[in-house]
Amino acid sequence: MAEELIVDPESLREQVRDKYRAVASAPAGPYHFHTGRVAAARLGYDSAVVDALPDRAVESFAGVGDPFSLRRLEPGERVVDVGSGAGFDSFIAAGQVGSDGHVVGVDMTAEMLKKSRETAGVLGLDNVEFREGLAEVLPVEDGWADVVISNGVINLCSDKQAVFAEILRVLRPGGTLQFADIANGRPVPPEALRDIDLWTG
Amino acid sequence: MPRAGWQKMLEDSGFVDVEIGPPVDTFGGAAGEDKARAYEVYGYAFLARKPR
Repeated sequence: MAEELIVDPESLREQVRDKYRAVASAPAGPYHFHTGRVAAARLGYDSAVVDALPDRAVESFAGVGDPFSLRRLEPGERVVDVGSGAGFDSFIAAGQVGSDGHVVGVDMTAEMLKKSRETAGVLGLDNVEFREGLAEVLPVEDGWADVVISNGVINLCSDKQAVFAEILRVLRPGGTLQFADIANGRPVPPEALRDIDLWTG
Repeated sequence: MPRAGWQKMLEDSGFVDVEIGPPVDTFGGAAGEDKARAYEVYGYAFLARKPR
């Protein structure tokens, strides 16, 4: 929703962390965006897949679109989920890539990482793991990923070019980036771009 | 950032075969709907490929 580096990157990161710390612990809100099963249904996720997941895997979902709508993942693919939150999209991805694939979720919020790791244990998934890190400095080796996914996260990064450069680094040649994010149809005035609430939702 | 801005940034970053899906009314019915309507904010799916 905003232009590059209009706000201080560290300040933005801290406020984003605060916001999503709250979404992890109090997923029902109130927030100015939808969360959980309401959000997943609105964004067009396969209801049978979502219904099969326990509440703890869905309730803190705060995505803005469906990153799987233009391309379903293929069995065996290696996937990085940038800003994996409580793990909802990583769990969907784990189901699509199957036991021969692998999903690495990356998030900077301790509460989200704790929740996603515990949920992976509850689901008995051994093809998904969660690592602490930033979108601009992914804890993934060069060229490891067949696919990078993300949902409503890149918009929250003040330096999107740095994020895309990092995604290119972790993707293999010919690899795919499939993500969801928001875009505005009308210009956002400069004073509004400095409103940190605009960036966090 | 507008849709065209996302596309340009992806291409400038080195991605190819960029596709953008149809808009989704992400904020409809949410508390942030008014702000989203003011700037015509919608959710989109993006697809892009790293060159071989």
